[in-house]
Amino acid sequence: MTERPEIKAALAQAILDGDAGEGAALAQRALDAGLAPAQIFDECVVPTLKDVGDRFSRLELFLPEMMMSAEAVKEILAVLEPVMKAQAKSLSLGTVVIGSAAGDIHDIGRNMVTTMLEINGFQVIDLGGDVNPQVFLKAARERQADVIAVSSLLTTSLPYVKDLFAMLRETGEYGKFKVMIGGGSVNSEFAEKVGAHGYGKDAAEAVTVARRLAGR
Amino acid sequence: MRNTSRLLDILDRMETGPLTDEKDFDMKHIAMGVKRVVKEFGIKFDGANPVNTDDDMADRCFRAAVKLVAEGGAYCKSNGRCLRWTEREILEALDAAPNVLVVGADHEARTVVQRRPEDARAPQVIGGPLGGLVREDQYLATMQSYIQEPLVDMLITGTLDTVYGRDPRARSPWEILVGWHEAELALTAARRAGREGIAMFCVSGASSDIAELSATSYGGFRPTDIHMVAMISEHKTSYDLLNKATHLVKTGSIIHAYCNTIYGGLAGGAEGIAVAETAGMIILQLIYMPATHAGATYHPTLTCNTTLENLWALGLCLQALTRNTPMIVDGVNSPAAGPMTKLLLYEVAAAAVAYTASGAARLMGPRTEASKHISHVSPLEARFMGEVGRAAAGMSREQANELVKQIEARYHGQLGGDVKGVPFDEAYDLHTLRPRAAWVAMYDDVRDEMGALGLALR
Repeated sequence: MTERPEIKAALAQAILDGDAGEGAALAQRALDAGLAPAQIFDECVVPTLKDVGDRFSRLELFLPEMMMSAEAVKEILAVLEPVMKAQAKSLSLGTVVIGSAAGDIHDIGRNMVTTMLEINGFQVIDLGGDVNPQVFLKAARERQADVIAVSSLLTTSLPYVKDLFAMLRETGEYGKFKVMIGGGSVNSEFAEKVGAHGYGKDAAEAVTVARRLAGR
Repeated sequence: MRNTSRLLDILDRMETGPLTDEKDFDMKHIAMGVKRVVKEFGIKFDGANPVNTDDDMADRCFRAAVKLVAEGGAYCKSNGRCLRWTEREILEALDAAPNVLVVGADHEARTVVQRRPEDARAPQVIGGPLGGLVREDQYLATMQSYIQEPLVDMLITGTLDTVYGRDPRARSPWEILVGWHEAELALTAARRAGREGIAMFCVSGASSDIAELSATSYGGFRPTDIHMVAMISEHKTSYDLLNKATHLVKTGSIIHAYCNTIYGGLAGGAEGIAVAETAGMIILQLIYMPATHAGATYHPTLTCNTTLENLWALGLCLQALTRNTPMIVDGVNSPAAGPMTKLLLYEVAAAAVAYTASGAARLMGPRTEASKHISHVSPLEARFMGEVGRAAAGMSREQANELVKQIEARYHGQLGGDVKGVPFDEAYDLHTLRPRAAWVAMYDDVRDEMGALGLALR
């Protein structure tokens, strides 16, 4: 990739612009030029996404732009991944099952975290709002998740968060799935009290925690 | 105006509107739609002036919001359908919005009226923790302390952190108990304070419909209280929320609706959240038929609304609505800092001046420390908010802008640090229910500082 700086710059710009079609076309051009998918991913996609995430953390760009960048990257990965799979490699940092706890239907904060995780290379399964503990667990099993991420803005949803940990302990799966929590009604003290493996106070911190929990 | 036939019309629209993918609604209608109307109507924040002084900008914000609502409507999460209205239907519904109502009872009755930008009448004060968590063992004392503040016209209750020592659980019998316990304790607090008739915003513990439906019944909160229904950010509702509205219409209760737009979220920056919040309040009037409305735009990580962008955005929204409709719109005061810090009082003052000059009918809160820590509230900041509101009444927006700039400079860039204050029992003496001397001294210092800036508090 270093020998094709113009493709690298154009691909980065397509991600920043949220231009999915242009991004996919440029990814194909890069492959056609003989570049390895991992090289494209590591040297272009990852640093550009980090830039997008950093700018969002500083509120220099906003959620819609970040979501569009994430969409562009999905299209780019759709081009790169078949080649990677053929080489028995994966670009994903891990799988995160995310949702808002039962009783809570707020989604803006969860959308921010979901998008930040996606642009940082995680495969994210968003279960939506008002998710019962058993639904989290079922999805984590089915998708062989590395991390379960639970968002809660309402204090009355917190008993359901506790239920999830009780369920994981009862089934012997506590530790098999790492659980991180965040949202307006929780803090690090609560996270420690219930035995969460991680707590993220905002979307940027959620990425750091997810990386740690997924061992990346 | 509200009645059963209008309620049926809303419910019909909810069931027959176009099926819409939620992500499409978020991206095409909110994100792209807001961006489009912001550009079309030339809404612009200069980054330096926290109070809009341009009437034409306020009117353009209103027209942008009406267009946004006419194009995309509102989304019902329960059935995946959009509720839609034509521009004419929107304007007709807004014209019929009440501009006066009476809340509370006996000598605590208050007539609430629309205020407009630069209105000489002082805004009323809705004091209380605004849904923030309050320790159950101190709930009565905390509410009584707010109610006994003379400037507090109405109470907005806090949320019980436990009920009979147990964790409340959404959509369960525990939530019903929370609603009832909130009513029992708040009504007792009012009696103890000698202000039994004071109107209360309720039910703060109603995270779903069941606590509202149960506690707004015989022996619970009264018809003279004010019942809150929220919108889900951005521009969404659900069966749960419409259950509340339907129950409140049929019980003849006073409805107060609110929405909170997130800065940096789907609506984008300051200009986008100003338009989205204005549109949100229009939708509230369309779907819940409330008597009054409250707005707040929140910073995504600080969860306060006292940054320059948020002060400007909510102020513009207040101006847009009160210049172009009869709606009664309140301003939520949501500082990041906690009790017994000067930063808290600076934030409260900045928001109170900005929203008073922009036409807020009532100042609400403060939502101290952005409700991050249990019982980190004290009624002294509600008193201070009311004093600032009185002093700022009749002020021109140009004066308010200069004043807010000077006040904001005192906390600018500091809200991301350690701004945690102290809990209620450290700020107040639990026996006398009076603020502690150190907190009063801090308050007096800041009052003097405000006086030096030309804001004469009384």
